[in-house]
Amino acid sequence: MSRHAMNKPALNRFLVLAAVLGLAAFSNNPYVINLLVVCGLYALPAIGLSLLMGYTGQISLGQSAFVGVGAYGSVLLAQHLQLDPWYSLALATALSAFTAWSLGWLVFRLKGHHLAMATLAIALILHTVLVEWRSMTGGPDGISAIDPISIAGHALLDDLHFLPLAWLVCYAGLCLADYLVRSPFGLAMRTVSENEAVARSLGIDAAQVKRKVMALSGAYAGLGGALYAHWIGYISPEPFSVAFSIKLLLIVALGGVSGVWNVLFGVFIVVIVSEWLKPLGRLDVVIYGLLLIVVMIYCREGAVAALAGLYRKLPQRLRPGARASLKLQGRTSA
Amino acid sequence: MTEFAQYLISGLVVGCIYGLIATGFTAVYNATHIVNFAQGESSMLAALCAASLVVAGAPLLLAIAVAVVVVGVVNILVERLAIRRSGTDVTRGIIITIGVGIVLQGLAALAWGTDAQPLPAFSGPGSISAYGVVVPRQALWVVGTTAVVMALLYVFLTRTFLGKAFRACAMNGQAAALMGIPTGLMRGIGFLLSGTVGAVAGVIIAPIALMQYDSGVALGIKGFVACIIGGFGNPIGAALGGLLLGATETLAAGYISSGFKNAIAFVLLLLFLLVRPGGLLGEFGAAKR
Repeated sequence: MSRHAMNKPALNRFLVLAAVLGLAAFSNNPYVINLLVVCGLYALPAIGLSLLMGYTGQISLGQSAFVGVGAYGSVLLAQHLQLDPWYSLALATALSAFTAWSLGWLVFRLKGHHLAMATLAIALILHTVLVEWRSMTGGPDGISAIDPISIAGHALLDDLHFLPLAWLVCYAGLCLADYLVRSPFGLAMRTVSENEAVARSLGIDAAQVKRKVMALSGAYAGLGGALYAHWIGYISPEPFSVAFSIKLLLIVALGGVSGVWNVLFGVFIVVIVSEWLKPLGRLDVVIYGLLLIVVMIYCREGAVAALAGLYRKLPQRLRPGARASLKLQGRTSA
Repeated sequence: MTEFAQYLISGLVVGCIYGLIATGFTAVYNATHIVNFAQGESSMLAALCAASLVVAGAPLLLAIAVAVVVVGVVNILVERLAIRRSGTDVTRGIIITIGVGIVLQGLAALAWGTDAQPLPAFSGPGSISAYGVVVPRQALWVVGTTAVVMALLYVFLTRTFLGKAFRACAMNGQAAALMGIPTGLMRGIGFLLSGTVGAVAGVIIAPIALMQYDSGVALGIKGFVACIIGGFGNPIGAALGGLLLGATETLAAGYISSGFKNAIAFVLLLLFLLVRPGGLLGEFGAAKR
């Protein structure tokens, strides 16, 4: 995917996305529309983690914390300062980005397992604070009666009205991330991911690159969290636990690192599979864990790349438009 | 003063458990260079297994022995079926062990439900008091068993051929393989060791701290914190870290706030990772690898 060829796919993707969402909206099936909103809101933190983990090679189990900062931050700002949700949304996103950036100073002295545990500790600390700081966060009961976002005096109360907003934000986020990974900064990110010593020898300030990406991933997570809070109208510490971080990890692993847009594939799979598994009761966790293991063992470059690999093995005549198939820029794992 | 002593001693008892779990982390890390995020589940599984066997009418000692063996076998299976295939990529290893933890926890919830499964204390429910400090009798079992297990591990690692081969593998896997040491077998032994030590920890603490399907997560993380405090890959450091963490946690919970008790361990983890990532007995470089 060379640079000059990107505008057309971006437009095509927008049209496909708009068509899918439009179809869903016209079907007027509340369940489908609700799921699509959830997908859009999951996608934002997932894009952030994809940039951090997929492209910069820094694992984070702490994304749920930034989603939580965004959600609680926006709600508390809106309630205590009587701000319009739009302002609190922007402030909370900035707050989350700043939190992530400052924590980046601390945790990026570490790598691998230690980094994973340090970010896990951040997620656990935030969760404990959300549960225990009752006077501020409402403890385990959370905060209810959150103001919805309104456009021109028209409150986006139901899913159908929220859907375009969630996906417009998501689309913008995807385009920004897509642009970023193709830019020189994106190359720097990949270099840091492959080999930090080489990156430094090329004059790339690896630590700074990591912190910047961390801040950006924090912004994505915070924005996702804030939108979620104003959409659902009620927040408690539960959705912002480590389990959500792990879900994001699975999404990014499924999507792989061959393109930012593949995150959407991971999001849809995880959200739909979670829905399918719900009637199974407690068995759903087991299957979910097995899925995590199997994806990691058998689809090392992500499920998208694995499917593309299968597709390429098909006989030529069964492959419509085989010549036009994009060459996936899979990152070789060391 | 009595209050302080009470907190300190309770903390040290819990610290023994953290130390044992930390030793389990060390065993796996030395053999495979993987941090097993499912480490705490061994303790949980063993405690629940033993509790069920006791309810079914088995003698306590037999129930414990069976539980420990079962968990050892489960750990070997996990290594064979999942971990060995993960290769050397750190991120992948982390996600796979997290997946293993989720699966084990889910299976435990299916088998035992979400209620705590009590295990009777080994020598009656009474407690001992001296100088105003009260400890349950089980606490003596905890401290004693920990000492014995640690001593056995030490003897195994330094005095037996297999133990020496294991350590050689931990120091330099390739060189060990060239010397004819079967490194695959050593990986299995690492997981077996960590499973059994974790299982023992779970069984001896179960009468004091109620165990349920999700108790393993907290224990595992605390064990890891103990590892970091002591120095990763160093069994003595792991034990020391466990005691230090247990004491700090209980003192802080007693004097500051019990609600934030869990956060204290994580704050300690962050502090150590940032100020002294090699731990008390380790080197700084190890953490940056």
